[in-house]
Amino acid sequence: MKFAAATALAVALAAVSAAQSPSPSTPRTADGKVDLNGIWGVAPLPPAVKPGQSVRWLLPLKGVDPEGADVFKGLDRVQVNARAAAANKPEYKPELLAKVKELSDKQGVLDPAFYCKPQGVPRMGAPAQIVQTPGQVVFLYAASNLFRVIPTDGRPHRADADPSYMGDSIGRFEGDTLVVDVTNFNDDTWLGSDGYFHSEKMHVVERLTRNGDVLTYTVTVEDPLVLAKPWTRGPANMKLSTNPADALLEAPPCVEHDAPHIVTLDHH
Amino acid sequence: MKRTLLAALAALALGGGSLSAHHSFAAEFDINKPITLQGTVTKVEWVNPHVYVFLDVKDASGKVTAWSLSSLSPGAARRAGVTRANFGQGQTVTVLAYHSKDGSNFGFMRRMTFADGHTVELWLGDDEAKK
Repeated sequence: MKFAAATALAVALAAVSAAQSPSPSTPRTADGKVDLNGIWGVAPLPPAVKPGQSVRWLLPLKGVDPEGADVFKGLDRVQVNARAAAANKPEYKPELLAKVKELSDKQGVLDPAFYCKPQGVPRMGAPAQIVQTPGQVVFLYAASNLFRVIPTDGRPHRADADPSYMGDSIGRFEGDTLVVDVTNFNDDTWLGSDGYFHSEKMHVVERLTRNGDVLTYTVTVEDPLVLAKPWTRGPANMKLSTNPADALLEAPPCVEHDAPHIVTLDHH
Repeated sequence: MKRTLLAALAALALGGGSLSAHHSFAAEFDINKPITLQGTVTKVEWVNPHVYVFLDVKDASGKVTAWSLSSLSPGAARRAGVTRANFGQGQTVTVLAYHSKDGSNFGFMRRMTFADGHTVELWLGDDEAKK
């Protein structure tokens, strides 16, 4: 009886301890690495509107009257102002600031992410899903149907690949963090909309740390030819998706219809 | 509201599922030239960075003119619960749009009104800012 009571107490204490734990424990794969498998940071979709049902939805634009004449310019202004107010921007070498401004002013026609080109690493952001097997990690990007295969078996960067939009990635585990080292970029991507160009010497390091059901993504960009100092974005926290309805869907393809109709240099 | 947009921008910049980059609407469309078009939806192209609706518009003499109309991104539409099935493929509709600055038969679609009176509106702004 005494033993049974002690066991019951121990079980009860364990239950209390589990309930008070700030997050579920971080799972591991069979080879002992932090388990990054999952869909991360995907917002659940609302139910589809039935055909025949009325719907009115406004893309949120604070302070812009939807009936007014400021809607299109308001969209550009709100986005430009939000980015201008951001504390953390890449810092360019002084002699390149004029070039950044010129590219930014002409972003509406010069941004390489237009015309359906890939945004590339790091602008494409964190992966929507991670598939991990011994020796490799695969990043899946839902919005663009793109993927990256990242070896984690200790091999070096490959020497036989052309420079590319997403670069050449190799990964290694440091505790509960996957560190991805990316080199061999082309210079046909920007870091963001404000004319933030880079050279083919760009070097990107991504860090993905799992803590319970949260994945934290941080990216550091070095470019000895254009940046005055390394630029770090993040951390961004993404929650593990457990809803089967969040399974990734094929993204609609990108089809460029707009370029022939661009009349002014308005941009956002 | 501002929070929502900033969060959306942050997600765009760093988080998963970022959107395709898209052009400024102000560079293409004239907010001061609203147009009303009545016609048959011949095709709904559910593509990035913007959904396109193709409309055959018949004038009084019976002449048919083909128009194309841009909308928001397919991702934004889906976040509003709107899918391709809501865009009237094959139906006769009335569209409120804003004409392209280049004067071609092209516009930005704000609202589609169906024969039974129901409407689908995907637009931008802040109702609290109404004058």
